[in-house]
Amino acid sequence: MAQRAVWLISHEPRTPLCGTVRFSRRFPTVEKRAKVFNGASYVPVPEDALLLKALLFEFRLLDDDKDFVESRDSCSRINKTSVYGIPVGGEELWPVVAFMKNCMIYASVPLVEQTLCPRPPLISISGVSQGFELLFGIQDFLFLSQKNDAELNSKLNQLPDLLLQTCPFGTLLDANLQNSLDNTNFASVTQPQKQPAWKTGTYKGKPQVSISITEKVKSMQYDKREIADMWQVVGTVTCKCDLEGFMPNVTISLSLPTNGSPLQDILIHPCVTSLDSAILTSNSIGAVDDSAFSGPYKFPFTPPLESFHLCYYTSQVPVPPILGFYRIQEEETQLKITVNLKLHESVKNNFEFCEARIPFYNRGPITHVEYKISFGQLEIFREKNLLIWTIGQKFPKSMEITLSGNITFGTKKHEKQSFDQICIGSTAYVKLHFKIIDYTLTGCYADQHSVQVFASGKPKISTNRKLISSDYYVWNSKAPAPVAYGSLVL
Amino acid sequence: MGSLSREAWAQRLGAFRASPSAFMAGPEGESLGRDLLSGLRSEKLSEQTKVSLLVLSLEFPDQLWPDASVAEAATTSLLDTLDLLSPRPSALRRPLLLAATTALIAGGALGPTSGASGRLLRLLLDLASGRALGRGFGLDSEQRPLQATALECLRELESCQPGLLWSCLGLLRGLLRREAPVQPLSLLLTLVLRNALVARARAGTSLWGLLLGGDLPTGDGSCPWDWTLAGEGDAHLKPQAPCWPAAEKEEGGLAALEPSPEEARELRATVAQLLDASYLLTPVAQAQLLWLLGWGLQGLRGQPPALFKPQLVRLLSTAQLTLLHAVLALKAAFGEALFTAQDEVLLLQRLTVAAQHPALPPPTHLFYLHCLLNFPENCPLGPDGEEATPLLLGPQLCQGLLPNLLHDPMALLARLHLLCLLWAEHEEEERGQLQSLQQYLETLLAGLRQRAALAGGPRTSATLCFQASYLVARCLSGYPTVLTPLTHGLAQLYQTRPALAPHFVDLLSSVGPELGEPLKMVLRHEVVLGTSREGALRWHLQTLAKVVDGEAQSTTLRFLQAAASHCSDWGLQQALLQVCRNLMRAGGGEGLADLLQALAVQLEDPDGRDHARLYYLLLAHLSGHKLGMALGPSLAAPALASSLVAENQGFAAALTVQGAPASTSLRLSVGPRRVHGSSPVLHLQVEALQPLYSLELRFRVEGQVYEPLEMVHVPFLCPDHPARLLPLPLHPRRPAPSHLGVSALYTTPTGLTCHAQLPPLLVNFQDLFLPFPSPSEGTGPSFFDELWASCLPKGAESRVWCPLGPQGLEALVSHHLEPFVVAAQPPISYSVAIHLPPASKLLLRLGDAQVDGVSVALRTDDWTVLPLAGDYIRGLSAAA
Repeated sequence: MAQRAVWLISHEPRTPLCGTVRFSRRFPTVEKRAKVFNGASYVPVPEDALLLKALLFEFRLLDDDKDFVESRDSCSRINKTSVYGIPVGGEELWPVVAFMKNCMIYASVPLVEQTLCPRPPLISISGVSQGFELLFGIQDFLFLSQKNDAELNSKLNQLPDLLLQTCPFGTLLDANLQNSLDNTNFASVTQPQKQPAWKTGTYKGKPQVSISITEKVKSMQYDKREIADMWQVVGTVTCKCDLEGFMPNVTISLSLPTNGSPLQDILIHPCVTSLDSAILTSNSIGAVDDSAFSGPYKFPFTPPLESFHLCYYTSQVPVPPILGFYRIQEEETQLKITVNLKLHESVKNNFEFCEARIPFYNRGPITHVEYKISFGQLEIFREKNLLIWTIGQKFPKSMEITLSGNITFGTKKHEKQSFDQICIGSTAYVKLHFKIIDYTLTGCYADQHSVQVFASGKPKISTNRKLISSDYYVWNSKAPAPVAYGSLVL
Repeated sequence: MGSLSREAWAQRLGAFRASPSAFMAGPEGESLGRDLLSGLRSEKLSEQTKVSLLVLSLEFPDQLWPDASVAEAATTSLLDTLDLLSPRPSALRRPLLLAATTALIAGGALGPTSGASGRLLRLLLDLASGRALGRGFGLDSEQRPLQATALECLRELESCQPGLLWSCLGLLRGLLRREAPVQPLSLLLTLVLRNALVARARAGTSLWGLLLGGDLPTGDGSCPWDWTLAGEGDAHLKPQAPCWPAAEKEEGGLAALEPSPEEARELRATVAQLLDASYLLTPVAQAQLLWLLGWGLQGLRGQPPALFKPQLVRLLSTAQLTLLHAVLALKAAFGEALFTAQDEVLLLQRLTVAAQHPALPPPTHLFYLHCLLNFPENCPLGPDGEEATPLLLGPQLCQGLLPNLLHDPMALLARLHLLCLLWAEHEEEERGQLQSLQQYLETLLAGLRQRAALAGGPRTSATLCFQASYLVARCLSGYPTVLTPLTHGLAQLYQTRPALAPHFVDLLSSVGPELGEPLKMVLRHEVVLGTSREGALRWHLQTLAKVVDGEAQSTTLRFLQAAASHCSDWGLQQALLQVCRNLMRAGGGEGLADLLQALAVQLEDPDGRDHARLYYLLLAHLSGHKLGMALGPSLAAPALASSLVAENQGFAAALTVQGAPASTSLRLSVGPRRVHGSSPVLHLQVEALQPLYSLELRFRVEGQVYEPLEMVHVPFLCPDHPARLLPLPLHPRRPAPSHLGVSALYTTPTGLTCHAQLPPLLVNFQDLFLPFPSPSEGTGPSFFDELWASCLPKGAESRVWCPLGPQGLEALVSHHLEPFVVAAQPPISYSVAIHLPPASKLLLRLGDAQVDGVSVALRTDDWTVLPLAGDYIRGLSAAA
């Protein structure tokens, strides 16, 4: 399990090459093995310029999308994973693990320790998951807490040194590149025997543990008889443990109130040492079980130095926090819209912000808006064909607010204007954005007193919670809308 | 050049990186490797610059030091540089070790005869075991990272030369108990152990002693590495080839030998030690450890996979891609021995959860989905190597994995594939659910079509729609309930946006007939009867060219007739003619000739008119077969040549006669002789080796001893039929044997006309023999005497000894001369009269036979035949 090469390519539209290789690294000893293992099916790793062009073509980033090109658009060329066969010099380089994020293509070529003809299934190639892990690691390093291009450049300049540490011969030793950076900075620390490889030094200072629970709620609401509304909570528990000693032990318990919704689909950080099997088996995909495990969820672990995600979970709460209705009536020259939002009584009515965005796609520019709202303010962004209804910090006492209006559009000037693939015809949505501090929809909390720390000194323990909306859609009930299979009422 | 400045080096490295091959071909290329090595010792360069030089050598050693001897020298130089460093801490030691290892391996210099290999291995082992650490090799603070690096370098050497370090097993195991960096040591030990287990199975050696072995040997002569297992050249890398340890596969691999109880115990202890400490490794390193141990222990007796069990709960709970992947590898390696049916369910559930967990990035989702469809089940049912949903994963569990329109294209296709597989697999059961699945599938495809129909939409949405249609057609080709609505949906899409014609053509070329045939029909209907909108003609013609066939020609022709008046530019005219071409291939038709004739006059562009005229001529003059061939794609033309070139080559191939080797088409020989009629007749035996049409055989007589021969025609010959006899009458100008040159002209089933030169046929002297009209009963002897007397004085007379075989005279005569005997007293004497066309006779008297031969008196009125007759008679007994 090793990588033969790795590249970072930035997409730069409207430049002659449409992109630049920002970083590349080859591993010749692995290449040597590839030549032997792959035998007659061996395809050498190409030079950067060749790969740049081939990858940009594969990702449809060259600026010529106009005509049908068989080698790219043929219906039988179906890729179902982020692993590609890239044509270079008349042959096909495979497997190339590649994905795009933040205008940057991350790519690597894992070693396959057998012949490539016939192609073995990806599941049997150990280097594939390693390639992903390496690329995710690089991505995290480059983009976590990165603010501008200068910072990105300086991080890119650090990469050769970092890979020398974490991937000296193409075999990844640690996907956490930041870790290695700290390691090189603190090389003078002599490590005792049982120091974990993922913890490169020890903390000196005031002991403290902070735990934050962030829940994101997403929803699809249709207001239709034959389609069920859908909503889901996704939680992330982030920890930062500043504790002295090289192997401090910590146990954190997450608890639910008596009427709380059980946590499901729990994914745990690898530093957690042991686990109640009920945590492992509670998932959202099996049959619904009334006797579902509802905590407390105990996680004993030895923390790494940096801040880390202790666990992720999902949950199915009984009601969505805000229930919405959206109706559009098309009249000759204008659209008549009605939006109705209702906050559920069990939800904390104290937002950091709350707004509803109402976009209009595939239409000409907004020329005129008449509206009536029961609460909040409405802003109109004509050039973006967007209305923003700012609700503010609180819903009114009735918990229910309404917007109705008539919108007139001009004629559509060019095809690309406010284009959208989903909102065709009267298909349209209102998207809600809100955030509530010190609140979780599941009720999940980390009790300060239940945090056990086995380390010198009594640490200060701080906890915080928040609820954020994410992909919270209310669809026009008078038109078709994209539906997930689970929402069909059978 | 050794004294290059920092800036000069930076510039050089930049130029090299931009295009290594171009740089190496340039003037500076040759000296780069040398300069780099001397640069490392230069006192003017900073450590940072030197590190950048080393990083370059880590990436491109094969360009810098391309062959083994140069690589050996470079490694030695790098090691010297390392020795020359002052004892102060230096950032160069680590990269120097890495560079030396890389140069040695990449240059192919690693081997028992290489001095540098020995030197590097000794240094690395010393560093790894902590023994070099008192020798002023850096300060204490630097020693631990160096130890780790040395272990990494050893691991790379072992990876590229498996078995190299197997005798160090005991040493490494001992280090694990002491204060050594746990991760690199665990990984090295695991790799060496795995390779040793592979080698053990092959060589039958015991690991026990090795596992218990102690420290490094201290004597100067002995070395702790071993080239014997490492084998020659690169061959050693092959045996590990199977990437994926498959549980049920042959026991033979690693399991061939049962370990002794002591060996098994030590091995178990070592594995347990490694697994217990695995928690201290980074997740990616843990995954490597598990893969290697899974490989090594698979099927090995006395090593219960239960050793892995304590790790599983921890591993299954994480979201780490590499860890979950490693668990799948263990699953594949050990199957039921490690995962009970309940464990399997749990693992599947975890995978299903991970494949849709909102906290994980999309590429991970897709990879887990791939893992689900290739899941190593305990009891797999389907065929090996095909994607399928695991048995335990029903539609209920997969609900969250089904596609919807909000997914990005790749996720949508992956999930759509799952949906199709579910549908196909559960078709028998669960009617109700299936119906809803089908409805859902239809809605989804309709949504995709609606998107694709959007004018001004990006190409990707069209591509996605057709990819989805293709996927459904491929997975569910046997289900008309799915394909029928799909066909109509696509027809509707075409109606709304004919500009998608290239996608339709591509789809029709890719799918099987289950979707292809009905789709062709509705599209044809759509084109020829639909309302032709402005600007869509180009697309209609493109589509029609793909979908025309022999049916419903009148409407198609009407459409073309109407379209012709709108075909103002060259491109449109060509598209129109392309449809005509394809119509001709599909079976012509009367109306088509009229249309082509009209086009030959009506089209504006002279090229178009010429083509129309040519097509008309072809249609009027060539048979269906030949027409198909003439218009078919030319095999000779490269794929990229323009259509016109390809077309012309097609015509050329079809309309000219091709040379063909005789051996591939037919065999010709002379059959048994039959004597009758007024002229000699050869009976040719023709045997076809492939179906031949309109065969024409042409003959040329050598020496013009016969009149020119008529051609022989055979309308059809088939290899399965028994050989036919073809009579070929000869009209000799004089009675002499000869050769006939033969050539064949025929048409192949593909419509090509071929010409083949066949081996010449021999016409023997006796082939020309004809009998005299038989005299009436009883007058034979007097008739013969008259003939006998008439030969002289103009002719010639001779006497020939004819050897006889064991059968005697009677047999000889009946065998060769029967038809020509005029008078006889069997078995004593025979009178033979032979007519040799055009006007000669040959008379033989055979009698007074001895034991070994008979004396033959012969007369002829043509002295030229005398030597031929003599030869013939002397050869008779041999021919018998």
